[in-house]
Amino acid sequence: MSQHFVFDEKNVFLNKLRELLKSGVPQKNISVITPYHVHEVDEILVSAPSKLRIFTFAGALLGGIAGFAFPIYTTLSWKINVGGKPVVSIPAFVIIAFELTILFGALATFFGFLLFSKLPVLKQIIDPVDYDKQFVILVKNGEK
Amino acid sequence: METSKEKISRNQTIERDVLSVSEKTGSWYWLLLFFTVCLTALGFIMWGNQILTGMGLAGKNNPVGWRFYITNFVFWVGIAHSGTLISAVLLLFRARFRSSFNRAAEAMTVFAVMTAGLFPLIHLGRAWKFYWLFPYQNQRLLWVNFKSPLIWDVFAVSTYFTVSVVFFYVGMIPDLAVARKHSLGIKKLFYSILSLGWQGTELQWKHYRWLCIFLAAFATPLVVSVHSVVSWDFAMSLIPGWHTTIFAPYFVSGAIFSGTAMVITLVVPMRKIFSLEKYITEDHFENIAKILIVTSLIVGYAYIVEPLLAIYSGNIFEKSQFYYRFFGEHWFAAGIMLTCNAILPATLFVKKLRRNIKYLFIMSIFVNIGMWLERYVIIVTSLSHDYDPYAWGTWFKPTYTELGITIGSFGLFFTLYLLFIKFLPILSISEIKEVSE
Repeated sequence: MSQHFVFDEKNVFLNKLRELLKSGVPQKNISVITPYHVHEVDEILVSAPSKLRIFTFAGALLGGIAGFAFPIYTTLSWKINVGGKPVVSIPAFVIIAFELTILFGALATFFGFLLFSKLPVLKQIIDPVDYDKQFVILVKNGEK
Repeated sequence: METSKEKISRNQTIERDVLSVSEKTGSWYWLLLFFTVCLTALGFIMWGNQILTGMGLAGKNNPVGWRFYITNFVFWVGIAHSGTLISAVLLLFRARFRSSFNRAAEAMTVFAVMTAGLFPLIHLGRAWKFYWLFPYQNQRLLWVNFKSPLIWDVFAVSTYFTVSVVFFYVGMIPDLAVARKHSLGIKKLFYSILSLGWQGTELQWKHYRWLCIFLAAFATPLVVSVHSVVSWDFAMSLIPGWHTTIFAPYFVSGAIFSGTAMVITLVVPMRKIFSLEKYITEDHFENIAKILIVTSLIVGYAYIVEPLLAIYSGNIFEKSQFYYRFFGEHWFAAGIMLTCNAILPATLFVKKLRRNIKYLFIMSIFVNIGMWLERYVIIVTSLSHDYDPYAWGTWFKPTYTELGITIGSFGLFFTLYLLFIKFLPILSISEIKEVSE
């Protein structure tokens, strides 16, 4: 069914990867495992830019809105005069909004990352297959 | 160009050097751990005693209601800052020397915020009511006061803690997968679960890279905001010596200054003991020392501006406050603060001294002392010399409880750090490999 090639050396691995693509193996059948982020792989296996930013943006936006809406709602629900300040003191709430923008944005990005990169992988936790410092190419459905 | 064989063997060496650290912990390690655990226990016993006996043990009075606990809180939050600076800001600037420091610095951030987070609870007395700080509707249908800087602080510090933990953890995921490979039994399971089954596929790396960049982009403004908010705990009040506009930038640079010093204090012995000289070189230390110089200059500038603002304000209370600060009964603290934070670090302009690791280490300890005293000076001198001359000079000396808890906080911080050295990869393996390519 599937084949896999293991390399000790980065350049040999990259050459083989280029070769496979040239020989007509569809890109969606190829996946690679590397010990660190290899920039050349991104150039060879061209893919759409990460959609992670959608999560980042949505989380940050939600946090920003919540950071204003929540203090405004709570102060309006029981109007207390604090040192003569207006009930809805926007400048004071900017800080809450700022912090929540960051908090929600960061957490949404993290969970988006888990979703997109399909983590956690239960099988890999129970019985991990590690290639250590080797570079691996996995080809599904034979070479063609 | 080095050959491929050399490259492979070097990559193996990185793994071996970093992962073998947890095995190189001999009897000295256990002795040290025992010592720090004892200090921590001392702190907790003192705290328990304070809870049982009463807040009188903390020596607070009116007007000096903020003393050592708040000093420690600001100090530890400040220590936390350079961790994020080194990992996030330098990541965005693509400063490669960060890869040798970032893990140690991030760990330090997390532990320092944990230590700092205890102090508001210790200070408030009834620590088990801590959840009153969080916004929820109580029985009287009241919410927290969002106009109070203290509530901003709750949001800022808890956000900072959460984001720092995520950042620290995310940075470690690929390395935990490496550690999983090199361990057995229960340890392997521990690393396997923590690594979430990371494999290093191109899909994972692609999203991972963006995750790091986004987190760094969030963490950078966060660093600036957190210590600004801490400074507004003071600056939003009307106390002479606190009520100034330079407080936010002054506190942020002070925080980075003290944090960078603490990174040096921690990394120098770690590098020596585990022979990591290959990965953390003199060049790296020189770069870190440059951060020290810059922040020291900003802090020194703030020391000059503060009294000048007081003089030009024409306000007798402000003027009197700064006279008292430098010539009153706390002159020794102000003097040590000036010497350690503004004068001594200027010697780092000399390249030879900057590259001398021993000198840097000693300097970093002076800076730690100086920065702790800075917070002490700001908090205690301002409160003990406010508008009412009748209440002046009501500060005498620290109580044993305060001292014990302060020592305990150092114990807790170093205990957590020692555990980190034992159980987690102390250098960023995958990043060092990537940089060395």
